[in-house]
Amino acid sequence: MGGKVSCTLGEVKQRADFIVYWGGNPAECHPRHFTKYTLMQKSKFLPRGRKDRTMVLVDIRETKSAKASDIFLQVRPGKDFELITILRALIKDQNVSDEAIADTGLTREVLDDLVQRMKSAKFGCMFFGMGLSMTRGKHMNSAALLTLAAEMNAFTKFVAMPMRGHGNVTGADVMMRWQTGYPFGITFNRGYPRYNPGEFSTVDVLVRGDCDAAFIIGADPGGTMPQPAIDHLKRIPTIVLDPHVTHTSKLARVHITTAPQGIAAPGTAYRMDEVPLPLKPPLKSPYPTDEYVVRRINEAIMAKPFWLPDGSQPQMLTAQV
Amino acid sequence: MSLQVIDNATCTFCGCVCDDIQLHYDETRIHKANKACVLGTAWFLNHTVEHKYPDALIDGKKASLDDAIELAATLLHEADMPLVYGMSNTTCEAQKECAALADQLGGLLDSHTSL
Repeated sequence: MGGKVSCTLGEVKQRADFIVYWGGNPAECHPRHFTKYTLMQKSKFLPRGRKDRTMVLVDIRETKSAKASDIFLQVRPGKDFELITILRALIKDQNVSDEAIADTGLTREVLDDLVQRMKSAKFGCMFFGMGLSMTRGKHMNSAALLTLAAEMNAFTKFVAMPMRGHGNVTGADVMMRWQTGYPFGITFNRGYPRYNPGEFSTVDVLVRGDCDAAFIIGADPGGTMPQPAIDHLKRIPTIVLDPHVTHTSKLARVHITTAPQGIAAPGTAYRMDEVPLPLKPPLKSPYPTDEYVVRRINEAIMAKPFWLPDGSQPQMLTAQV
Repeated sequence: MSLQVIDNATCTFCGCVCDDIQLHYDETRIHKANKACVLGTAWFLNHTVEHKYPDALIDGKKASLDDAIELAATLLHEADMPLVYGMSNTTCEAQKECAALADQLGGLLDSHTSL
C-alpha cells in the first residue's frame, strides 16, 4: 500500500476531531480503540474529549459500534467502492446522478452533510476494517478509500488507517517490506522477490493448487479459508507451527508446538499504526519459540543442496541483525 | 504465595497491541490482567505453562522436536513451490526468519493480510 496517508494513533488521540469507521466493529473486535485513542480521550486540542469529536460508522448492518457513533450510514452490501467513488466526486463538486446515490442505499442529503462535515473537520481519520477490504472489490476498496483520504488533503488534514485484526499482522507487512520490498503476496521462484496479489496471494495459490508444500506459522487457515483451499492443504505436505493443535494441525504432516508470543516468547510486535512495541512475557513455556524453530529449519535446509544448479545461484543476503 | 507483577506488558491479541497491561502471575499462569479488555483478558488467562500438547506431531503421532524439524526441512526442500504463510500470531524476529526461509527455498511468502 505505497502512498498511504497515515499517522500514529497518538496523533489521532491528540488531534482527530472527525473519525470514520468503515466496515469494522471496534466495539466488539478492538474494545479499547474508542477509549484509548479515538473517542474518549481529552487533549490540548480537544479539551472536551468525546464532545469535540464526531464519529461516523459506515457498515452494512447496525452493529454494537453504531451505538457509539454520531452518524450511522448503512451502505448496501457490496456497494462500498461505489460509495467511496461518489464521495470522491462530491468533495470536488462534480455531478453525481440520483440513481448512482440511490444504488448505494443512502440519500443525497446524508452524503452532502457528510462531505460538509469532512471538509470542515480539522483532522479527519478513516479506519477501515475487513468489511471493506475483504468484501466485493477487496484491495481496490482499500485503494479507493486511501485515495479519498489523500484527496481530502486538498481541503483539510485527513488520514486513513487499516484496523488490523490478529496480533502482529502489521509486523508481518513491515518485516516483508523491509526484507523484500513488498508487503505480501511475494514469490522468490526466480531467485528474487516479485509481488502480485491475486497470483501469489495464499488463498488464490491454494484454490488453484499451485503450491506443493505449505509452511503455516501463527495462523489457522484450516479454520478460516474456503473449502477448496483446505482440501489442497490436505493433499500437499503441510507443516504447522502453533502454540495449540489447530484445525490446520489436524490435516498437517508435521505440527510443532511453540511458545505463545507475548506470554512465553519474547520479541517485538507492531501496533496497527506501525509502531513497534517490545513484548514482556511473564511465563516460561516448555515449548521452544517460533524464532528458534524456524531458524533450526533454515539451518537444516541450508545443509542440503541449493535448489538452483551451481553457477546459476543468486547471491544470498547474509543474515542481518 | 504472593504474585509477581509486570507493569506495562504488551497484549498481542488484536491489532491495537495495548502496552499498558498490568499482569499478576506466578510460575504456572497469569491470574490477573488489569486494564486489558475482555478479549485481552481471555488471551492472557487462557495460556499456562502446562505441557498440554505434545512437542511435535508427525502424521498425527507424537514425535520429537528434532525429528519434526528434520522432516519439515526435507519436505520443504523437496517441494518445487513451497508456500510460507501466516506470520500474524508471531514475533517480528520469527517473521524475519520466515522471510529468509521463503528466500532460500525459492518459494511463496504471504501473510494473513491476504486471507
